[in-house]
Amino acid sequence: MVLPICVKIAVLMRREIPRKFTTTPGTRDILPPESTRLWDVQARVLRRFRAFGFREVVTPALEYSEVIEEPRLRDASFKLFDPDNQMVILRPEVTTPIARLVAQRLRNSPPPHKLSYSLPVYRRSGVGHGQAAEFHQAGVEAVGSTSPAEDAGAIALLVDTLESLGLRTPDDFAVVLGQTAFYEGYLRTEAPEVAPELLAALAAKDLVRVDELAGGLADEVADAVREIPRIVGPAADEAVLGRAERYAVGEAAPALANLREILAHLEAYGCVEAVILDLGLIGRYNYYTGAVYEAYSPDLGFTIANGGRYDNLLQRFGESMPATGFAISLERLLSVLPAGVAEPLLVLVGESVESTRSAEMLRESGVRVLHLAENAASDEAAVYAESVGAGWICYPASDGLKLARPGEEFAIVAAREVAERVLS
Amino acid sequence: MRELRIAVPKGAIFEDAVRALGAAGLPVEILRDNGRRLVYRAEGAEFIISRPTDVPVFVEHGAADLGIVGKDVLDEKGPNVMELKDLGTGACRMILAAPESRAEEVREAISHAEVVRVATKFPNTARRYFEGIGRQAEVIALHGSIELAPLVGLAECIVDLTATGTTLRENDLTILDDISSSTARVIANRGSYRLRHGDVAALVDAMQASGVQSG
Repeated sequence: MVLPICVKIAVLMRREIPRKFTTTPGTRDILPPESTRLWDVQARVLRRFRAFGFREVVTPALEYSEVIEEPRLRDASFKLFDPDNQMVILRPEVTTPIARLVAQRLRNSPPPHKLSYSLPVYRRSGVGHGQAAEFHQAGVEAVGSTSPAEDAGAIALLVDTLESLGLRTPDDFAVVLGQTAFYEGYLRTEAPEVAPELLAALAAKDLVRVDELAGGLADEVADAVREIPRIVGPAADEAVLGRAERYAVGEAAPALANLREILAHLEAYGCVEAVILDLGLIGRYNYYTGAVYEAYSPDLGFTIANGGRYDNLLQRFGESMPATGFAISLERLLSVLPAGVAEPLLVLVGESVESTRSAEMLRESGVRVLHLAENAASDEAAVYAESVGAGWICYPASDGLKLARPGEEFAIVAAREVAERVLS
Repeated sequence: MRELRIAVPKGAIFEDAVRALGAAGLPVEILRDNGRRLVYRAEGAEFIISRPTDVPVFVEHGAADLGIVGKDVLDEKGPNVMELKDLGTGACRMILAAPESRAEEVREAISHAEVVRVATKFPNTARRYFEGIGRQAEVIALHGSIELAPLVGLAECIVDLTATGTTLRENDLTILDDISSSTARVIANRGSYRLRHGDVAALVDAMQASGVQSG
């Protein structure tokens, strides 16, 4: 009954309402099996977050535009006006909304607040840049502690999560760790007049400009200004931080000490091997104040995850609290994960009450059953089974069940043996 | 692990790029076969040949680990890549130019903050330049033969790249202002730079040496 009406409407629309029935630029429909993998990965990620005591929160998709201060994120936001004519934006990330949430809702509970989320975020993207306007971020925020153990804990959780999904280091991924306060601290101590320009050049990842600016400084300082952003190497290699040691003057000294403490905790977590140090990494957002990190895979040119310490962000919301956290981009993570083996699905065919009873009995025995409540012939059923990714077709029979893989010969199987065969 | 993949631009800085890579010890001779191949595999590296403006795209997405490209392209496109080295070669200038006969007129119009029409292959650079001097322009993006635009009245002036100024002179164009200067740069994908830092740094250092020698 329903089907013909749908068809009629579709025909009418095609003829009389010429509208764009596609998704908007940068957005997409996600279909099985990809959607199944996305939700599976999300569930597994959140399970690891819970194992470290992080509790999920949900913030609204809409926020007042004033909530987000970061210029790059503001520029990239979708903006609209609410009924009071206030500008609101679709959240371009979740860290800042959680800072707002903590400052507003949790100021009377004892810190640290360990919160997690998995939510879609929205950013305007130009056509042809290969960037999504809507994607999923899963992350954690630990608010209310300055301890380097929290930074290390977040990094260890990131490594743990990626490993729990089957990724191995160093072949599949690495976490690159930097300390924004080290270079900044050195510059403030030794070359304060050019510090803003040098930090801007480094934020733009322009080492050529860093070299140019260094050219105007005294030799010893110039060498350091060129050298520090180029200190990159495995965290397990003592020599890497050894190179940084001689530049640990003034404000840079506590920054390096902080990095060493984080590494000591990472050692205790047993995940130093997964970490590459890069003292030129200062984080993509201005709100980062300390340790920053990004996860990379050799199979992807972009970061899978990024995070860091942001001790000043909550001040804007009236609570001065230090914080650290990271966000994983789930779609990017998915693109580097090995294709998992889907749980077997069985299509049980038939309109009779006996079919319904068989379907329910099989489900109770642990089999995933899609009941196709039509008296479909076996070739039709095979086509249908392929289209839904089912590996088995089953018909009720007088002396058990007729079972086959799509396109193969049916065999009569005792009802209690079906689960054994399908799940083996 | 696979060989480093390097994006080499066609056109003006192709020779500079090949020379720098060659001096770093890479087998670049295969790149000179004038064929139509787009991918060249060699011992120690894999090369892809692309339009200069596409080099940062391949590198940003990780389809190439390293690339060589003019600073002018980086300024225009603003890709999220590591800029590692100035090779010092392929020097050219980004200029504002107008037909000799109307140069004074255009200069006046700009100084009075009138809206002038500018033809360019570098619309972002042109827009930033005019914003920077507090003047107004209507930017018309073209893909080639920019010099033609003021000759046929499509635009009053142009923002374009010039190395020797020959094309400008041939078309009776005169330079009104210098916007920036550009040389060939070595860029790297953010991930490749960190995950394969040893390989990348060694190669880029070797290329720097060659840049100093030839430049």
